[in-house]
Amino acid sequence: MAGSSDPVDPKVPPAKPNRPRIKTFSCQNCGASVTIRNAGASLSVACESCQAILDVTDENYGIISKLAKAMKDYTPRFTLGTRGKLFGKEWEISGFILRQDVGSGYSWEEYLLFNPYYGYRWLLQDRGHWNFVTPTKRKPHMNSATSRGIYYLGKHYKLFSMGHATVRWVIGEFYWKVKVNRAVEMTDYVCPPEMLSCEKDESEINWAISEYVEPTVIEKAFKSAYPMPVRVGIGANQPSPAAATFKAIVPFWGIFLCMIVAIQFWALSKSSNETAMEKTFLFVTNAKRNDITSPVFNLSQDHANVEINVRAAVDNSWFYVAGELVDDTTGTSYPFERSIEYYHGYEGGESWSEGSTHERLWFSDVPGGKYYLNMDTESDGFPPPQGEREFTITVLRDVPYWWSFWWCALAVSILPVWFWLKKRTTEVARWSNSDYSPYVSSSD
Amino acid sequence: MLMLNCPSCGAEVSFRSKASVFAVCTFCRSSLVRQDMNLEDIGKMSELQDDMTPLQIGTTGEFEGERFEIIGRVKIGYDEGFWNEWYAMFGDDEPWWLAEAQGFYAICMECKSRWIPAREKVKPGLTVNLEPQGKFQVVDMKEVRCLFSEGELPLYATKGRQSLSVDLSGDKDQMGTIEYSDDTIRAFCGVYQDFDDYKFRNLRSIDGW
Repeated sequence: MAGSSDPVDPKVPPAKPNRPRIKTFSCQNCGASVTIRNAGASLSVACESCQAILDVTDENYGIISKLAKAMKDYTPRFTLGTRGKLFGKEWEISGFILRQDVGSGYSWEEYLLFNPYYGYRWLLQDRGHWNFVTPTKRKPHMNSATSRGIYYLGKHYKLFSMGHATVRWVIGEFYWKVKVNRAVEMTDYVCPPEMLSCEKDESEINWAISEYVEPTVIEKAFKSAYPMPVRVGIGANQPSPAAATFKAIVPFWGIFLCMIVAIQFWALSKSSNETAMEKTFLFVTNAKRNDITSPVFNLSQDHANVEINVRAAVDNSWFYVAGELVDDTTGTSYPFERSIEYYHGYEGGESWSEGSTHERLWFSDVPGGKYYLNMDTESDGFPPPQGEREFTITVLRDVPYWWSFWWCALAVSILPVWFWLKKRTTEVARWSNSDYSPYVSSSD
Repeated sequence: MLMLNCPSCGAEVSFRSKASVFAVCTFCRSSLVRQDMNLEDIGKMSELQDDMTPLQIGTTGEFEGERFEIIGRVKIGYDEGFWNEWYAMFGDDEPWWLAEAQGFYAICMECKSRWIPAREKVKPGLTVNLEPQGKFQVVDMKEVRCLFSEGELPLYATKGRQSLSVDLSGDKDQMGTIEYSDDTIRAFCGVYQDFDDYKFRNLRSIDGW
């Protein structure tokens, strides 16, 4: 170009040649046609027919590595080039690797996702459980050399699994030069719904953070041609709904318990617990005696409870009282009945006893005023001769009352305890897939 | 801004940063070395192999509330791949770099630490003190070369320029690099930031995306 003329506007540089992005060439290994979708971003591509990994940066597309014994065929769930929107961003399925644990032979699917702006992510499918994996440059740190956990962004991740992974089958293109015959050391740490994974080989250590994704979300995003695989068991980092519910209700549980305790203390401090009447009466042993009437006594305050205590010196015998608390002014009556029995003995080298010599009963919300008791009695089992024995009635006004407190505490605890048990069951199931379960003692 | 003419084709070559000493002519791709007001043509830059990067010269972004504009780039290659170092200009003439690879974006600048280890002593796992940013660990090291450069740059980024690049990782999102070339040893430190947090504008449009 001559410098003297003024051929172009300096503000507009010449347009870059618009080359088609998709490139096709023949595989060096088997001659089959190989396609590259993201030329420029991808560094290697796997030949679909022979599983050779070809170098995209090399103008001759040289062979980087070949699987020693590839599986005959495998059908990934999603076709390469499929795009889907996940967490608000569009991703294209760029590659697929079927990986296998060297020790157990267990395999799982890994789909490489690409977006030129945001880089690369992975979708992992293992026993029907899906994870969205984001590579991270941030290094987690260990608590101590012996610790089985690791810290990342203030969260504690527990060691879940360790192993060596190899490639069983591969297709598509990748942002590094895939070396298929090299096993990498893999370590997973979990903190549901997240998982922190470390992949290590001779030359590098890569960390990635995974998030558990519901299969329906994946299905909706990438429109699989095949039905989604059925979920088996609990995923390593699958969130437990019971744990979330438990966590959500615990504060309310605490608040309710505090309220109940506060109400109870308030009731206790308020109750006067005074004796309205205490009197000893006589009954006839092994017979009935009716129409025993107490003196009139006063119940102070309005609307407070009444406790009636009955005591009788029974001894391998029983005493029964049926009576009523009667309002002297209005005639309103509060009927009651109680049996008092106490038996004991010595049998087969052991002494035993059952029952007691006193009983209690309560009336709630009794208006204040003048009252008296009317009672019929009966008894049996007393040694002869027949005679009169004493029984004592104590009437207490406005007594502290614990039953409602315990019932309320129990009622508000049913749901939290149930969710805690459910949460624990889930955790035990989750960790049954791990060699590092905190629910199994380490001695075995 | 300084406007000079390309000694090869006569087109205008702009120098927006005072720190720039090198430029590639947008019209004839001549590599130009600046000495004050003079430009010397030292050879042709090769054509760029498209790498699907979303950034380009003219892309603007934000870092810690400050706006920057990309005015140059060096594409660096090694055995296992490549990455881009974009020369970013903030309000002042301090040279900042935006390193970009596989969706990771780190913004960094040169740090003049007294503690940069000698080339022979560097190995993965070594702790390096890059004052005042703190301690970093050597992650890996690789022999690299300049594949391509464009725009204006604060270094002589001629094609084929070789160096040893050492990757460092620090606390949290901190990163660092030490570059050992034949004539200089320079250390850079910075932080990774998510793509969206840069609030990029004037990104390159990528076919199909």
